[in-house]
Amino acid sequence: MSFVSLTLETVKRDLRLELRTREAMSAMLFYALLVIVIFSFAFEAEASLTTRVGGGLLWVAFLFAGMVALDRALGREQPDNCLAGVRMSPASRSAFLAGKFASSFLMMAVTEAILLPLFAVLFNAPPTAHWGGIVGTAVLGTWALATNGTYFSAMSNYARQRSLLLPLLLLPVSVPAVIAMVQATQVYLTGEGVAHYWLKLLFGFDVIYTVLGLLLADLVLEAE
Amino acid sequence: MATNGQLPEELLRIPQPPAAKNWVRLWASITFALLLLGLYEALIGAPTEATMGIYQRIFYFHVPAAMIGFLSFFINFLASIWYLLKRSPRADALAIATAEVGLAFLSINLTTGPIWAKPVWGIWWTWDARLTLTLIIWVMYVSYIVLRQFTPSAELQPRLSAALGIFIFAAVPIDYMAIRWWRTQHPAPVILGGKNSGLDPHMYFAVLCCEIAFLALMATLVRFRYEQEIVKHWLEARRRGVLLTQGELGVTDQGPGIRS
Repeated sequence: MSFVSLTLETVKRDLRLELRTREAMSAMLFYALLVIVIFSFAFEAEASLTTRVGGGLLWVAFLFAGMVALDRALGREQPDNCLAGVRMSPASRSAFLAGKFASSFLMMAVTEAILLPLFAVLFNAPPTAHWGGIVGTAVLGTWALATNGTYFSAMSNYARQRSLLLPLLLLPVSVPAVIAMVQATQVYLTGEGVAHYWLKLLFGFDVIYTVLGLLLADLVLEAE
Repeated sequence: MATNGQLPEELLRIPQPPAAKNWVRLWASITFALLLLGLYEALIGAPTEATMGIYQRIFYFHVPAAMIGFLSFFINFLASIWYLLKRSPRADALAIATAEVGLAFLSINLTTGPIWAKPVWGIWWTWDARLTLTLIIWVMYVSYIVLRQFTPSAELQPRLSAALGIFIFAAVPIDYMAIRWWRTQHPAPVILGGKNSGLDPHMYFAVLCCEIAFLALMATLVRFRYEQEIVKHWLEARRRGVLLTQGELGVTDQGPGIRS
């Protein structure tokens, strides 16, 4: 089987498992919704707040939701020692990791598609907001979180407290991506400033870490 | 460990652990003398700066600590690549030693900075480009140490941390760009900084003294930590060797004696 078909098989398998159990998606949605609701109490959600820090609020919610998906990405392989089965197959580890990346990306994207309108309503997004730009930033930003997150999810898979280790590894390395996605979203929300160099930075981050993750996939997926 | 490197078997043949030699004492003494000289130059030797006064003297520890810390992290990056290419326990020992020592030096830099900033800038901390970048690098290497502590398997530790070491290093230039676009307030570099920057010659001398002293300190600490790791590998190899022999002879009740 080729790299692409192996990747697609992994994605199909993950999505099938998710559709049957709905464990990640429902938790993600509810978790992110709670974050947004708590924010609106903590910061007095007004239109002025959204124009000042809307991008930050949105991405903190996305980040928390994404963490659930990324934790489940490899956590799903733990019961019945599934990962050992995957390791025994002659399929390339990079294709497996790429499949995990794609399925995490899809789950995060679906959650974000539901959250974005909710955010716009609850936080009174300004009418000047450029939604096309925000969606574009969300795609690039989710790509950044998913590619690093999948890799670190595999890396933390052997640890005693894997769910705790994942954010500790993912967040520091993702700081430049977080800065870029928040700034770009802020520009598109308020219509002030220039976003294109943030998007370029985000795209560069995505490409570098996708390549690095696929090249070093063997290191985190080899047998113990 | 025996599977992913030639060191344990190699060590198994040595009856004594690789003990600290006399030269270590000599080296440590030289480091101590250099540190004393650096301290003298920083506090008394160098002239007092015109506008900042005595507060500027912390600069002699602040800047070298950052430079030596970053140098240590760079060696960590090289050791990570070395480990991935050769799977040598020596590379892993060097990686862990440089990560921990680099973190110590960067902590010195991050504590002396605010102490200087409070009287000079009037604030302890600001999210300026260099401060933010240094803090992020510090946090990333903390996560490197945490990964090692959370990973129970001694076989996985070196492999996973080498991978993380490379990921962290790849983040540094991107962080640099992102943060520079984001904001800037740190004073411009005075060493190799351009036309109107520069230091009094005696100040240069003081910086150089501290720089060399910190470099010597870094080398000493890395050497100690490195040897500690090697001894750990050695003990583990011996233990396995002893267990193996006992198993072959059918001996089970013989205490932790070591063949030699």
